[in-house]
Amino acid sequence: MINQLLSSPQFANFAALEVGKHFYWQVGNFEVHGQVLIVSWIVIGVLVLASAIATSNIQRIPVGFQNFMEYGLEFVQGIAKDQIGEKEYRPWVPFVGSLFLFIFVSNWLGALVPWKLIKIPEGELAAPTGDINTTVALALLVSAAYFYAGLSRKGLGYFSKYVQASPFLLPLWVLEDFTKPLSLSFRLFGNILADELVVGVLVLLVPLFVPLPVMILGLFTSGIQALIFSTLAASYIGEAIEGHGEEEHEHH
Amino acid sequence: MTLYSTFILAVESAESKGGLFDFDATLPIMAVQILILIVILNNIFFKPLTKAIDDRNDYVRTNIAEAKERLEKAESLAKQYEVELAETRKSSQAMLLAAQSDANKIRSEQIAATLAESQSQIVEAKAEIEKQKSEAMAVLDTQVDVLSRQILEKLLGNLVK
Repeated sequence: MINQLLSSPQFANFAALEVGKHFYWQVGNFEVHGQVLIVSWIVIGVLVLASAIATSNIQRIPVGFQNFMEYGLEFVQGIAKDQIGEKEYRPWVPFVGSLFLFIFVSNWLGALVPWKLIKIPEGELAAPTGDINTTVALALLVSAAYFYAGLSRKGLGYFSKYVQASPFLLPLWVLEDFTKPLSLSFRLFGNILADELVVGVLVLLVPLFVPLPVMILGLFTSGIQALIFSTLAASYIGEAIEGHGEEEHEHH
Repeated sequence: MTLYSTFILAVESAESKGGLFDFDATLPIMAVQILILIVILNNIFFKPLTKAIDDRNDYVRTNIAEAKERLEKAESLAKQYEVELAETRKSSQAMLLAAQSDANKIRSEQIAATLAESQSQIVEAKAEIEKQKSEAMAVLDTQVDVLSRQILEKLLGNLVK
């Protein structure tokens, strides 16, 4: 069987076939990646369902699923609290937490569910975070969030930090506002896609047992990537909220 | 939804497009989806569970505060009890001492009184004895005189006369 696969012409452009193809939907004049949207709806559905179950019968002494979701909530609260600070973190928990949960569930569903068994006309179902559109959307949301955080806190004075240290650093500050979403999106995208590719290629070569360690490593990477993304998002927000004010405070 | 009606499942050939960095309308749709997800999760997950956790923390905190209050109360009661016990002991000690001194005083007074009385009785008795002695002496003296005169008369007979 393996010989057949190896000799088949499909194997030669296996990677291209996996990566480049999308299941296009036409929405008005625009095209969208259907496979990404489908899985993202499943992810959103899982999250909403889990939340609904966890909060359907809230008790003072948490039992079962409520307990589990409370653990998750306290985990994302911890991320936000560590990066933004005890005083300011509360309004940002839903944002940071939703990002974490969405990325985490996306990655894990992408790695755990045997999507290959579900045939779609073109491309294949996979983690939404393995698509550049998703990660750029997430990263741009983070950018918008930290600009909003900074501007709502200090008004236009937020931009004074760009020239505070030295006017010559202005280009660097501006550049950083572009590199932040770029690095955020490409880190997540690259990791998830690479993991999927490695697992896919290994499964193709040796279908049994050998890919397991890589799959487990992939699960680990997936969790870490979700953690990194949300931690960085929180840290950008925290930076925008307080960095400037604290420095001024120190000078006085 | 109207969005669904506009969906046309168009499977395009992969030669003309596709690839890793294929940006299209998926990006804004995904951004909107995430925003909706954040709003939904905020309402059905973050708010209620945060509230539940905060309520529980408050509950535990108030319980701890109440327990502390009760403990303090119990401790102050114990302290008060100790103080009262000490006071009572002190007062009982004082009462004992007072009673003892009173008893001592009464005893010594009574002894002194008895002594004085017995002294005066002794003095009286002595005076009585003295008086009786002197009376007896006087009687004796007269009797001695009479007797001696009688003896003299007897001896000398009528010479005396």
